[in-house]
Amino acid sequence: MTVELYYFQPLGTNSGRVYLTLLEKGVPFVEHELSGRNFDHLRPEYLKVNPRGQAPAMVHDGHALYEGMAINEYIDESFEGPPLRPADLRERWRMRVWCRYAENDLGRALMMINWNRVVPNFMGGRSMEEVEKVLETVPDVDRRRSWLAAFKQQTPPEAIEESHRRTRAGVQKLEAACRERPYLAGQTYSLADIDCFNFCGFMAMWMPEIMNDTDTPAAMDWRRKVSDRPAVKEMRSRTPRMQPPAGAGTGGAVEASARAQAQARA
Amino acid sequence: MLELYHWEPNAACARVLITLKEKGLEFNSRYVDVLAFEQHTPAFLKLNETGETPVLVRDGEAYFESSYICEYLDEAFPKVPLMPSDPLGRWEARVWQKFVDDYIAACVSDLAWDAYGKIALEGRNLNFATAVSTIKSKERRDLWTSALAGFDADTLDRSRGRLKDLVGKMETDLARSGWLAGSSYSLADIAVFSYVNYLPRLMSDVLNATAAPRVAAWLKTVGERPAVKAALAMSRAPDPYTIAAPGPEHVRWG
Repeated sequence: MTVELYYFQPLGTNSGRVYLTLLEKGVPFVEHELSGRNFDHLRPEYLKVNPRGQAPAMVHDGHALYEGMAINEYIDESFEGPPLRPADLRERWRMRVWCRYAENDLGRALMMINWNRVVPNFMGGRSMEEVEKVLETVPDVDRRRSWLAAFKQQTPPEAIEESHRRTRAGVQKLEAACRERPYLAGQTYSLADIDCFNFCGFMAMWMPEIMNDTDTPAAMDWRRKVSDRPAVKEMRSRTPRMQPPAGAGTGGAVEASARAQAQARA
Repeated sequence: MLELYHWEPNAACARVLITLKEKGLEFNSRYVDVLAFEQHTPAFLKLNETGETPVLVRDGEAYFESSYICEYLDEAFPKVPLMPSDPLGRWEARVWQKFVDDYIAACVSDLAWDAYGKIALEGRNLNFATAVSTIKSKERRDLWTSALAGFDADTLDRSRGRLKDLVGKMETDLARSGWLAGSSYSLADIAVFSYVNYLPRLMSDVLNATAAPRVAAWLKTVGERPAVKAALAMSRAPDPYTIAAPGPEHVRWG
């Protein structure tokens, strides 16, 4: 049965984790690229595939599957190819804890910082009124609020600062894990590495002030080890390299100065 | 021997207690009084640095995060399987578990804390402001601070809205097999039950036999299972579903 994958370009985060898992397993799939910038995920033809209006979605055996972490376990269970979940159950538990941490904690902190930096560039000549009209169709209420706050630059600066704090803590947690064992779950490469690489790996480029060879050498070595994998190279060859957004490398100084200016005005 | 550090058999702790009872596993119960802040003592933080219950200990290793404790138990003790037998059913169960972890847990906890939390604190000889200020994890400290201040109307309304949608979705999904994932009782039912069992009282207009007959019947069926009864009977309170602690935090960014 054919596998079809609907995913966001450029590849990374939720779309990247499933795309990379399919490549690692050697599963052939039909590709459907979506552009978040063009709101492709909110178009009626896509909502027919995934009414939640989120990507990725993977169609297999007539079922449209969503939720990246659950899709990845499904892929590992359903297809031949190298196992991507440790056989050791202690390590498998640790894999799941890392997958969730990468997506929900560290990943969302990074997403908040970066969306607020890049989303204003997504206006593409549209008026705020037009953008708001499109965002009204976002099916999930929290997602709708986040998008709108980013477009209007109304995310509370304290929340963004808290995300910077969590990001700094997250890099230290990653460093500690990489010092302890070769891969995040344990002895073998697993879905935990796939997730952490996709949600957080770009910190080495976008946040070099906190992830670098001096402060976090083990995390950097882990990142290079993952980057060198043939499947990762293959994924990277299929996606444009994103330029770091304005504010990258400042450790939150851009947000802090905007906050200071706003306070001075008030 | 398995050891479980847990509080009352509701929410996350209920998930693991029910799973252990369903699988017929012997374990040592270690009761952690979270309203006395025992989960923030150095001894407990050694088991789980975030100071959250439940924690399972086996062979000297600590396991936390209830979704993954339950899956671990299911894989380590496969005799009574609690995950669907096919990959699609397991995908469904994992999506439900994630939905519980991301949304249901925080939303139910808001309402339960609002209704029962502060009452539970009365009569305890503890300075809560001081206790909260000594919590090591900033995430947990912030959460307790806002809980003690009381959740605002907007937060509670949003939680109610999401839970109303949830009951609607359950009503649709249960039409298929009577269970949430695949065609049998699974960790998905245990996860959702552990929270939704608060709702007949907290959202009686939404969850009742007339407005949501399938959910009401499912809740009754699950609640009558011997393992579920045995788990809930471990409560030290008159009723584990009229007592609550704050948390987990809501998803911070859509």
